[in-house]
Amino acid sequence: MRTDPNMADPDGFYEAWLAAHEGLSDEESAELDARLVALLANQVGDAQVLLACIAEARAGRGA
Amino acid sequence: MSAETWKFAPAYELPHWPFVAPPDLANSESGERIRYPVVIAGGGLAGLTLACDLALRGVRAVVLDEDDTVGVKGASSRGICYAQKSLEIFERLGLYERIRAKGITWSVGRTFSGAEEVYTFNLQDDSASEQPPFINLQQFYLEWFLVDRIRELDTTDLRWKSRVTQVENEPDAVVVEVETPAGRYALEADWFIDATGANSRIREAMGLEVNPSRSTDRWCITDVRFKVPFPTQRWTWVDAPFNEGRAVWQHLMADDVWRLDYQMAEDCDPETISRPEVAGARLRAQLGPEVDFEFVWIGPYQYRDHLLETFRVGRTLFIGDSAHVVSPFGARGGNNGIQDAANLGWKLALVLAGEAGDELLDSYHAERHPAAVENLTVCRRTARFLAPRSRAEHRIRRAVCTLARRHEFARRLANTGRMAQANAYPPSPWAKAGARSVQNVAEGGTTLMRRLASGTRFLGLAFGADASTLAQLDELAALFPIDFHRADPAGPLAAHLGATAGTVAIVRPDAYLAARVAAEPEAVAAALRDALGRDERARLAA
Repeated sequence: MRTDPNMADPDGFYEAWLAAHEGLSDEESAELDARLVALLANQVGDAQVLLACIAEARAGRGA
Repeated sequence: MSAETWKFAPAYELPHWPFVAPPDLANSESGERIRYPVVIAGGGLAGLTLACDLALRGVRAVVLDEDDTVGVKGASSRGICYAQKSLEIFERLGLYERIRAKGITWSVGRTFSGAEEVYTFNLQDDSASEQPPFINLQQFYLEWFLVDRIRELDTTDLRWKSRVTQVENEPDAVVVEVETPAGRYALEADWFIDATGANSRIREAMGLEVNPSRSTDRWCITDVRFKVPFPTQRWTWVDAPFNEGRAVWQHLMADDVWRLDYQMAEDCDPETISRPEVAGARLRAQLGPEVDFEFVWIGPYQYRDHLLETFRVGRTLFIGDSAHVVSPFGARGGNNGIQDAANLGWKLALVLAGEAGDELLDSYHAERHPAAVENLTVCRRTARFLAPRSRAEHRIRRAVCTLARRHEFARRLANTGRMAQANAYPPSPWAKAGARSVQNVAEGGTTLMRRLASGTRFLGLAFGADASTLAQLDELAALFPIDFHRADPAGPLAAHLGATAGTVAIVRPDAYLAARVAAEPEAVAAALRDALGRDERARLAA
């Protein structure tokens, strides 16, 4: 699992991510993010990396 | 709540300069008008920087300012962070040492979420300059130092208590009507500069749109004097526990004054949140009960942005806030007014000297408008990060901050301000490969800014050139405003510019790299013709 910076344009990605949520209800937003996870997972492909990401996301719950 | 009494610092005593009746007043009866090469309306950061820059180039500008002092609303400190490019400009203009001595030098910024640190940056890491990444200083001090420097140079006609009431853009001159305590008069300018700020009536009277937008996000600046040995770093909280989970900025300025800027609830009452007892309670929540402080300034605000479509209209040019306004995150307001001035100064000087055609002034728009667009985009993104608009946006930001505590990649997504840098300029007829800023690198017992400090000359840095190559290049100095210097292909300038032996780096008077070419007179001459727009001029004449 990579955790070093690997995005070409982090601020541009963040802006586009927020823009995708504009005008959606909270439920719709949650569903959008779920679809996004599935699409990004298919880009990653590697099963071990995906399992590591799932574990890290689960471990890193905020306050 | 305990009944604490709140102390206020004594008001700053700002300088006042006298109104002096100008010779134009004597002509007001006859209708004759005196003509000046450059008239600048507005004595703020942008206008004063341009006047000072022009003075050093031997251009006698008239500055019209409706006030007789510096600052706005007295000593309320507006801008506070001056970026490296601005500091390098002030080094060239001869006031950097005074700024350094008075201000607070810093390079480290730290961002917190809750009680934990999210990320840290050190801008010094990318610097090759003699000037630091940032100095903090109350804006009125900087304007004050600029006025002192302009007066010392004794070239500029500074006219206080002089308000522009009307501007006529005629084909061969701009006619400017001025109101003063001793009456009205009109003058003529070859070139007229609107530096009157965000609410420019000149711009409005010309019917020019800026498409403004205003934030719903509200903040309250609290400038406070206290002595606590906090590090001289830029500290920001995305969601501070001592500010009801909203953002806070903490920055030191001159005179032990701290800029504490608190994000407020969008539906707050600006009058209530800026009462001393309310502002004082916020400070106590942040600083604890022991710290002895006094207020210097409390001011609620919303930010806004706007952008003028074209920065040149005939013989009128717009600089600073009159042309562009951005949200305050990242210090891209005042710094870009200063950089507008530095971009325009040398071009005006060369056009007035007949070294370039007036099309060169179109390059001011071609370079500074894209810079403003870039700054708007960057500042809007930060504003959006700081003021999430929905539960989804809050959720995304929480996810980023949580991941950022553990992972470097997520720190790049947390955005409490992308600090002002000298914008690179896109490819244009004047710089076919675009133009990037050159830092104030020291080499050979001098610095780039010292070499650029007098006159309006390009620098040709000839890396590893032998005597005969340099002699050949020197012949171009009779045809173009350029001076050549030998530079070390293994030295710091070469490293900064990525230059190799046998090449010439052509540095403009505003310390932007115009071109890098082979050390051959034809190649250098071609690049200079581009940079000065001389080919364009020939084409238009044909």
